[in-house]
Amino acid sequence: MTDYLANYLPILIFFGIAAAMGVGFILIPWLIAPKSPDSEKVSAYECGFNAFDDARMKFDVRFYLVSILFIIFDLEIAFLFPWALTLTGAGHEQAVFALWSGLAFLGVLTIGLIYEWRKGALDWE
Amino acid sequence: MDIGLPHYLAVGAALFTIGVLGLFVNRKNVIILLMSIELVLLAVNINLVAFSAFLHDVAGQVFAMFVLTVAAAEAAVGLAILVTYFRNRGDIAVQDLNLMKG
Amino acid sequence: MTLAGVAFYLLSAVAVLSALMVVSLRNPVHSVLFLILTFFSAAGLFVLLGAEFLAMLIVVVYVGAVAVLFLFVVMMLDVDFVELKQGFTRYLPLGLVVAVALLAQLVVVGGAWIERAGPDRAPLASVPGLTNTETLGRVLYTDYVLLFQLAGMVLLIAMIGAVVLTLRHRPGVRRQDVAVQVGRSRAKAVKLHDIRPGQGLG
Repeated sequence: MTDYLANYLPILIFFGIAAAMGVGFILIPWLIAPKSPDSEKVSAYECGFNAFDDARMKFDVRFYLVSILFIIFDLEIAFLFPWALTLTGAGHEQAVFALWSGLAFLGVLTIGLIYEWRKGALDWE
Repeated sequence: MDIGLPHYLAVGAALFTIGVLGLFVNRKNVIILLMSIELVLLAVNINLVAFSAFLHDVAGQVFAMFVLTVAAAEAAVGLAILVTYFRNRGDIAVQDLNLMKG
Repeated sequence: MTLAGVAFYLLSAVAVLSALMVVSLRNPVHSVLFLILTFFSAAGLFVLLGAEFLAMLIVVVYVGAVAVLFLFVVMMLDVDFVELKQGFTRYLPLGLVVAVALLAQLVVVGGAWIERAGPDRAPLASVPGLTNTETLGRVLYTDYVLLFQLAGMVLLIAMIGAVVLTLRHRPGVRRQDVAVQVGRSRAKAVKLHDIRPGQGLG
């Protein structure tokens, strides 16, 4: 168990360094940079006229559809990792069964992919 | 003192309670309601994996995988419903979600 | 205390505190970011338990996809979130009562179970000699094949549901159809007219 956790020690060290740097880059300017804010300086700048509205704007819904489809296929890939690892290790009968059950899973999701394709959800108009 | 099963169960219970509390206090904001549901499901996952590890039975991890799948699918469809509702009504106020009421 | 013990307390403290921030912050964008932090800490806890595959899955699926989805929706819907926050203090007492009751129940049930279970064994998330991912794969596609196929169905339904709910074709948009473009031949596309001088196309 301790050997196993020792494998993750470098990641912990990296997290520590990353956190220290992130906090440092916020903290150091806050301490030593000169600041004299006024309302003109901190407002949004647009050349030649006053800013019309907020700097944030609405996203198009089509981005959302793409990211939903990404989640679904992400999970599909997640189920394929153990599949790829265990097809060779187990006994023959089991491996054949696992192969077909994984292929059935892929088949079901391929139906979904074809549906999306035919509906034009993957096109960008 | 070694970290045992009770420690992990305590974390799971705390996250679950916070998720339920979030469902109560954010009655108006559907997005935070969905996030609270994700917290509840994460607490369930922590419990499943902790039991799986301490009872030396892999079934808990398999179930955690399925809970993860359902949680992601639920977030995807829930947010899709939210987007459609916003497009039809122009806001996402929960108290107006009574279109299907007879 | 060992390093693993310190890591456990640190990760669980971060998880619980950021979960509190998720439900109590005013700005939903910040809520999403704290949700990501909660998931990260939970992934760390899974690593401590030895469930490496699930830890990485949490990072990939939740942090990489679900949280981004939430961010998209928060940014996409142009909603006045201050107004949505009203009623926070009104429902807080009721919420606290229910939450405390629930926590007490969980503690009672968990305490009773732990008292009966006897001394703890060391956590072990994989069969000895196999990696965690292989351990999962050995049972996932054979013993749990029904659940596995059901998960596929759930994903299929989520996919179809998302397409049905959010896909709207705008009228008047001219799409590119590659097959039609490639299948165009000279005979279909070009017409030759023999025009006599001075008569026009009439």
